[in-house]
Amino acid sequence: MNEIVFRTDGEGFLSRFFQMVQVVIDQDHGSVALVFLIGVIFGGIVQYSRVDKFEKIAGFAMLKDTIVPKMLFLAVGIGSIGIYFMVENGAANLHIKSLYLPGLILGGILFGASMAILGKCPGTGPVSIAEGRIDVLIAAIGGIFGGLVFTVFYDDIFKYLQGESFGKTILPNLFEGHEQTSVLVFGVVVILIAIFIPKLEMEDELEDHDALR
Amino acid sequence: MTHKKTNRLSWWMGGILMSLLLLLTISTFGADRPIGASTFAPYIAGTIFNLDHEHYGYLKLINNSGAWIGIMLIGVLFGGFITSVFITKTFRFSLIPSGWKKYKNTSILSRLTWSFFAGFVMIIGARLAGGCTSGHFLSGMSQLAMSAMVFGGVVMVTLLITGRYFYNTKGT
Repeated sequence: MNEIVFRTDGEGFLSRFFQMVQVVIDQDHGSVALVFLIGVIFGGIVQYSRVDKFEKIAGFAMLKDTIVPKMLFLAVGIGSIGIYFMVENGAANLHIKSLYLPGLILGGILFGASMAILGKCPGTGPVSIAEGRIDVLIAAIGGIFGGLVFTVFYDDIFKYLQGESFGKTILPNLFEGHEQTSVLVFGVVVILIAIFIPKLEMEDELEDHDALR
Repeated sequence: MTHKKTNRLSWWMGGILMSLLLLLTISTFGADRPIGASTFAPYIAGTIFNLDHEHYGYLKLINNSGAWIGIMLIGVLFGGFITSVFITKTFRFSLIPSGWKKYKNTSILSRLTWSFFAGFVMIIGARLAGGCTSGHFLSGMSQLAMSAMVFGGVVMVTLLITGRYFYNTKGT
């Protein structure tokens, strides 16, 4: 399968699509089929658990729905113990993002505010579009323009707004000699947080009653 | 009136499945990289507007991860569509979520304008921070990355403040 080489010359949109496929084939991060399958499962889990709904993220912002934090914290808790277990056994590598405070704080503020208003994040938004939400399609068009502005002004503006990196720090670095324990404690605490956050759900009249569906 | 809810996964089943997907993705026998999402926006912008990769340093920077997330995104759309049509049976075209109608307003123009604006700002924010809910919160925090903790904390606070003042939640 890795022998297929797509025609990447030419200027058309289709050739640029083939370039994208070719870039995935050329990098060592799973076959195109696997990456597609990861997407299908991701979309399936998000849709099936209904966390792509406005009422879930915006509902959490209004403190009327806690399904998203419960699910996310549980995934992080299990994931953290699992990832470090795999790293210990040579089955995974860490992929840590740099700690550049101005970028993280400014970006986090913009991201948090817009997530409360849209009620979606970049991962759940595409699932909403796939289930027919036109408002989120409009948001995606806005997002693509956001991506365009970021790309065009990256070298002149955004790179400087991100500030200096403090390196790829991880929490266990702060507990020298007790790295494994710190991961285990973190994982268990986060799972407990997920369980003990009170379960609140904002009702969606169009979906939660049979009579109205 | 019956109050039977839509066929759906519980939060704990969703959380367990999501952690397993993350473990599969990050393992060396999977994709050997974390899950991400927001990089697709600048990548698609570069593709649609045919921007020159040599001229824009950022496109060069995200060329590999953008393509990877681009393929994953096609899968997400496919998986979301199939699930909404055949499993949860929630596929329907809509312009305003019912929660927006209840807590904000009933104007289609208002919802669409805010959506466009929020989508625009959201991608700028995610790219400034170098990740979003998937890349930082899910993948980053699971690796105990300090960058993810800072981002997660700031997002959580801003999300709750915005939710408190943007919507009319009093008296409901």
